[in-house]
Amino acid sequence: MHRLPTLLSGIFLVFLASWLGLVAYPALQLGRLTPVADADNGGTLPPVYGGQAIAGQRIYAMEGCISCHSQQVRQTSITSSDVERGWGVRPSVARDYLRDSTAFLGSRRLGQDLSNIGVRRPDAKWHFVHLYHPSAVCDGSLMPCFSDLFLVRKIQGQRSDEALDLTGADAPKEGYEVIPTVEAKNLVAYLLSLRHDYPLPEAPIKKTGPAK
Amino acid sequence: MIHATLPNQQKDSGLKPVDNRSIDASVRLPVIILFGNAVHWLVIASLLSLIVSIKLIAPGFLGGISFLNYGRLAPMARDLMLYGWATQAAMAAGIWLMARLCGCPLGGDKGDGLGGMLLRTLIISATILWNLAVLLGTLAIFAGYSTGVEWLEYPHWASSMLLLSFLLIGIWSILLFDRRRTGRAEVAQWYLVAAFCCFPWIYGTANLLLVWKPIQASAQGPIQSWYCGSLLALWLLPVALASVYALLPRLLDCNPNRRHLATLGFWMLLLIGGWNGMDRLIGGPVPAWMTSAGVVAGVLFLIPVFIISINLLGMPRNETIVSSNFPVRFFLMGLYALVLVGVIGALDSLPDFSGVVRFTAFTEAKAQLWILGAVSLPLFGVLYEALPQLLGRECWCSTLSGRHYIITLVGLGMLIALMLLGGLFTGIALTDPTVSFLNITSYSYPFHLMECVAQLLLLIAALILGVNITRSLAGDYLLNKQTGK
Repeated sequence: MHRLPTLLSGIFLVFLASWLGLVAYPALQLGRLTPVADADNGGTLPPVYGGQAIAGQRIYAMEGCISCHSQQVRQTSITSSDVERGWGVRPSVARDYLRDSTAFLGSRRLGQDLSNIGVRRPDAKWHFVHLYHPSAVCDGSLMPCFSDLFLVRKIQGQRSDEALDLTGADAPKEGYEVIPTVEAKNLVAYLLSLRHDYPLPEAPIKKTGPAK
Repeated sequence: MIHATLPNQQKDSGLKPVDNRSIDASVRLPVIILFGNAVHWLVIASLLSLIVSIKLIAPGFLGGISFLNYGRLAPMARDLMLYGWATQAAMAAGIWLMARLCGCPLGGDKGDGLGGMLLRTLIISATILWNLAVLLGTLAIFAGYSTGVEWLEYPHWASSMLLLSFLLIGIWSILLFDRRRTGRAEVAQWYLVAAFCCFPWIYGTANLLLVWKPIQASAQGPIQSWYCGSLLALWLLPVALASVYALLPRLLDCNPNRRHLATLGFWMLLLIGGWNGMDRLIGGPVPAWMTSAGVVAGVLFLIPVFIISINLLGMPRNETIVSSNFPVRFFLMGLYALVLVGVIGALDSLPDFSGVVRFTAFTEAKAQLWILGAVSLPLFGVLYEALPQLLGRECWCSTLSGRHYIITLVGLGMLIALMLLGGLFTGIALTDPTVSFLNITSYSYPFHLMECVAQLLLLIAALILGVNITRSLAGDYLLNKQTGK
């Protein structure tokens, strides 16, 4: 091991083992997963994201949502708490991420898991108010305000349909309204599309119950 | 302060080892630039970490401006710690140690000729490129161009600049090894060769598959975990261990004399280290065998950790040297931190335990202890040892060094203890579905509050080091000015 070529080949071979197992294998196997047919409506699973949701992923990445939110429901053999907390009706599997550009698996949960936030909170209006001022709807939340994703503007004639229904200190001045920007709409479209409440061949839904 | 004299072996090839002074002269400027910038990034990263931890007790702090949101500052702090401080300091330590251990000046005997000058210019340009890439990458996260891939948030152009710059700097350490004038290679040199070969491979593969040309997202999870584990276990840790293997026996003036153990430790670390990040995926959306591999690797990682620590901590120690020598104390503390990392990692990989603490501060504590403890403490040791030798005079203010040492240890110990406890606490609360998530958030408030104090201590320690190094280098400048007169 005192000559460079011998040492280098030793290092190469030992290092190659983990590279093959954790990089080459996933790239060749998991990277070639395909969607499955959806028997109910003739579409495919996981469903294709809409254009707004795809743009919303960008906002999710740039605001660093992954620093606090995971997007994975763990296997029940490891812990049942993710499913019991209502974060998903079944554990996440690799195929769930098929349509994503980046897998936002996350490593820390300072906030709740978001893999099924679209099921738990299907109302876009709730998300807008929550993004504008999280503790207004979740008292004690650590989430920062994303008020930069909203515009405060003077009401022109009639109040916009999109305007947020804010109360108390958050409410804008008389004659003004708070409306979401395109970025906010895209982000919310992405959050609403985060729903994995359908079975996949490798991840059937065991007990049927309303997802909360 | 005692200085280690490297190298001390007889050569087996034609050329004679060169004396330390001319070796130091050949690497002085690049190594000092790398170390100096690394320390400045460390100060900024510590400041950002403090702001980030304050945001957990007061979400409104510096609020309302999207640039300063937790989601942008937290990755900025982490990446600065990884690429601004740790990787840069590791490059500096690696180049200096390699040149010394190989008894060979950078650029060969004609180091002071035109070739040597061109080479130094090239390396110095590469260090500038590195720091520019770190600066621009950080600003890009700030401005909302983050890739959203953990630990690889820098946009593709910044990460390509980093890789290019690393190749320009790192290749010289491999070439130095190839042209060494000393005989039998030391274990420290193996670690350096391995580390300098692995980094481009790890960083290149991960960026290629996750950032430059992202593969299908269903395959990204294992690659991300592999990257996080390998970056620590196959790049940063080997350089830290190389420093300890090279300097500790010499500073303690004893021979470890257990080469077979060191050899075994080296190969075990390389073999298992690459699998080390898989504990991030236990129970995650990956094939079941990967979860099992993560459990096995987490527990097996104890083997190299124990071999290496028995090897190095088992050396007879002269307590008077230990108490008077900061590099030795940093090395020893770094090794204790490594043992703790191994134990936490093994616990963390046990499926039942992992089910409780995954995604809490507990797992974050392991990453922090790894970066700030097992890697940073030995790198501080090399910095304290290298700078006086490179400058050719005593340059550290020992009062400041002492305060840096104590405050770093207290801050780090406090931070890790709080995160482990807080993580365990929230983890156990999370297993009970009747306790609401917001309720659990409020439980962790006291832990977050104390973590701010710990982060403040770490910032103070980094500032002290910053003042100490600036003072040392400025002293050199003033000295030059005086002699110039």
